[in-house]
Amino acid sequence: MYFLIIKQFIRSKTAVLAFVILFLMGMISILIGKQFLSKQENTIAEITRQQQEHIERNVTYHKDNLGLLLYYVRFALVNETDNLAALSVGQRDVNPSVRSVTIRNLEGQKYDTDLNNPSNLQSGNLDLGFVIIYLFPLFIIATTFNLLSEESETGTWRLIAIQSKSKLRYLLVKLSIRALLLYSVLIMLFLAATVTLSLHLNEKLFAFIALSIVYLTFWFALCFWIVSFQRSSSFNVLTLLSLWVALALLLPASVNNFVTNRYPVPEALETMIKQRDGYHEKWDLPREATMNKFFAHYPQFEKYASSAPGFNWLWYYAMQQMGDDESAEYSRSMREKIMQREQTSRLISLAIPTMHTQLLFNDVARTSLSNHMRFLDKTDEFHERTRLYFYPKIFQNEPVENENWDEFKPEYISERSDFNWLNGLSPLALITLIILFLTILNTRRI
Amino acid sequence: MRREIVALIAKQFWTDAFKSRATYVMIFLVSVILTYAAYSGWKNYATQSDIRTQYQEEARKSWEENPDKHPHRMAHFGSFAFRLKHPLSLFDFGMESFVGNAVFLEAHKQNTVNFSEASFSTGLLRFGEISLAMLLQVLLPLILFFLGFGSIAVERENGTLKISIAQGARWMEILVGKSLGLMKLALLFFLPVAVVILLLLLILKGTLLTTDELLRYVGTVVSYLLFFQVICFVSTLVSAFSKTSKDALVKLLALWLFFVIILPKTSQALGSYFYPSPSKIEFETILEKELIKKGDSHNPDDPYYKALKDSVLLVHKVDSVHKLPFNYSGFVMREGERTSAEIYKKHHNELLKTFQKQNNVTRFTALFNPYVAIRNASMALAGTDFGSYVNFQEQSESYRYQLAQEMNELQMELISNISPDADEEPHMISKEHWEEFPDFKHQFLSISTALQNEMWSVIALLFWSMASVILSGILSKKMKTI
Repeated sequence: MYFLIIKQFIRSKTAVLAFVILFLMGMISILIGKQFLSKQENTIAEITRQQQEHIERNVTYHKDNLGLLLYYVRFALVNETDNLAALSVGQRDVNPSVRSVTIRNLEGQKYDTDLNNPSNLQSGNLDLGFVIIYLFPLFIIATTFNLLSEESETGTWRLIAIQSKSKLRYLLVKLSIRALLLYSVLIMLFLAATVTLSLHLNEKLFAFIALSIVYLTFWFALCFWIVSFQRSSSFNVLTLLSLWVALALLLPASVNNFVTNRYPVPEALETMIKQRDGYHEKWDLPREATMNKFFAHYPQFEKYASSAPGFNWLWYYAMQQMGDDESAEYSRSMREKIMQREQTSRLISLAIPTMHTQLLFNDVARTSLSNHMRFLDKTDEFHERTRLYFYPKIFQNEPVENENWDEFKPEYISERSDFNWLNGLSPLALITLIILFLTILNTRRI
Repeated sequence: MRREIVALIAKQFWTDAFKSRATYVMIFLVSVILTYAAYSGWKNYATQSDIRTQYQEEARKSWEENPDKHPHRMAHFGSFAFRLKHPLSLFDFGMESFVGNAVFLEAHKQNTVNFSEASFSTGLLRFGEISLAMLLQVLLPLILFFLGFGSIAVERENGTLKISIAQGARWMEILVGKSLGLMKLALLFFLPVAVVILLLLLILKGTLLTTDELLRYVGTVVSYLLFFQVICFVSTLVSAFSKTSKDALVKLLALWLFFVIILPKTSQALGSYFYPSPSKIEFETILEKELIKKGDSHNPDDPYYKALKDSVLLVHKVDSVHKLPFNYSGFVMREGERTSAEIYKKHHNELLKTFQKQNNVTRFTALFNPYVAIRNASMALAGTDFGSYVNFQEQSESYRYQLAQEMNELQMELISNISPDADEEPHMISKEHWEEFPDFKHQFLSISTALQNEMWSVIALLFWSMASVILSGILSKKMKTI
């Protein structure tokens, strides 16, 4: 019987066409992921080369003035890109993975975006995550909506009713063939991705695969539930596509509007103005006021205080520091606002499998907003460490050549991924179980 | 074609549609979500406009409050440009959330436009946003397909089609009648939306619309009417060519998925795959290299600036820059700003060209995909398209340039060539100059420029609108009743 049902399924032109399209889209998405990775690699190679050249050049120009040299010199921090990011680019396209900062005030440098074509951002990345979240369910709908209705519409259902021991078993066999084929396409795509993108066979990759499988099982359950009502093909396809539109388009988009309107981020603009004014207005204020604030923040530098008139670098960097210090409050509340957005989205997504899966893919691939926020925190630490390293040297007018400038290579941070098996899979599994339960109630009548 | 027959068929279609309970459910659900979209668009426009205007004023106040100082300090103090939302963006968000909202404008440096919604967003923004335009472009065609898939196929199934034809109805009359009936259903959704947009615009602005805004509004309404007309004809034709209503439904849904979901996304992705654009680091490295080649104003021994100095001294017949009738470092900075801005502009234009090439792949598909045509036309009309954003960037860069050069001119004119000693007061000029320099004001593109950017889409819409009628005429001769 298996063989005949497979034969029957493969004979259908729609099924074959759908398979081909799905596989093709999967392959395109992997190639696009590969291009994304190589762009990231180029950027890192470029920043390494550029930083070295840039330091060398500025050291020759400003060899007798450390304070002036460090006005120009930029130090890079790289948020390492996991190869898995190619499968779910997430926020990595908007938020750059490299920060290159001087030791001057950080708030003015921290939020620079990458160069992006807004049309690409609007259209969204065609990564494997998209293919799994959007297109696979469509395929499931296309191949299962008439699982039962095609039999009753062509008149074969009565024959089956008479001939087979269990009608339910017959339907389940039909369903399992579709599922088997679909999961094979999924695994084939993951194999192709593993080879093409040189993915490591580690827990994260398996988490990504496991998530995909559970997510698609949810869709199979949903489709079978609708089928179990024994309505017409047209009714099924209408209902299932409406569910898809709701789950994949309308609900996530509505939540997004809700979050955007609920938590606007004016703090970002406030921070931007405050960091400028915090620094610039100090030029017009008595020097003592700035120095007192600076020494209150860093008592260890009080010993460098000088009463000589005119410009000195201690005063200059103290003024720069005020840009950060006086905008710190706004910067913090901006961070809180963004984290509120993240938390609210996550909470709502627990009930909506498409959103939940998308956020988890980003977590596993380390391309989420949380990952970027931690990168910004690390940038704070990196910047603070660098400036505290140079401050005393500048204030003592140490000669430029005392420093071994070759040592300043871009630094890397490798953030943990947020994925947790239990928290990740249980909401999806729970929803799937509920649907299965409802289906069982229905199938008693089949 | 007899008018009264067409009207009769259209009326019959309308009455039939309301015999099904599903129609009422659909109307209810769509109304709920349209209402939410209208509220959300209005709220977002109001909040964001308030925020941006407030900070533009705050930034200006802080600029004007500067005391007397050296003009170059002010060039570094700089200014900000905040991107304003076009009033019609409450209807179509377009690229709003994906482009930056504020940019810091200072001497020597072209900063990126930062703080887009996308940069504050969790991964969810990739699912899109709910705007009235999105619902009209994506959801309404689907609803029309739901309502229209059976228009002819069902009559074929239950045999009433044969009766109509036997009674003398012509195929063209049936096609047009059914399409018009469906169009009437489309208007049931669209007309209230059109009225609501107009009301919201009037309420938000508190005054009458400007001519440009009114034209944009009318253009938007007309474009959507053309789009729905195409959708209605396509739906009827597919229904007429399908043996069963199930076939018609499956075909229409496949068309919708392909043209609305799969094709636009794939073409955009392929566009950026085939025309890769540089990352910011690569872009900046190229700029830096070219600037150094031209002349590095930070290098004390740079040959370009040395030659410049010699020629200036020669022209003014003096032997030292201190004897020049203007401030020499202001002059050098003016020269430096000019060259760096030129080089930036050249490379930025190249970058934009690459972006345009990426976009053109999708733009080209508008010719056979009415969805892309209406999407692009609608964004352009709502001031939320690529062209409008690029125009903002250009405005802000040109303001930045003027600001830097104005400060350099002031320095050349009013600052002495001899540096003060350490114990002397630094050179400065009166704060009146700051107030004299006007604030940045984002100007929207005129409707004609906006439409020129999306000419293809407008042409495609008009073409499709005519083609759908002509096609019905041609195909009506090949229709089979059974």
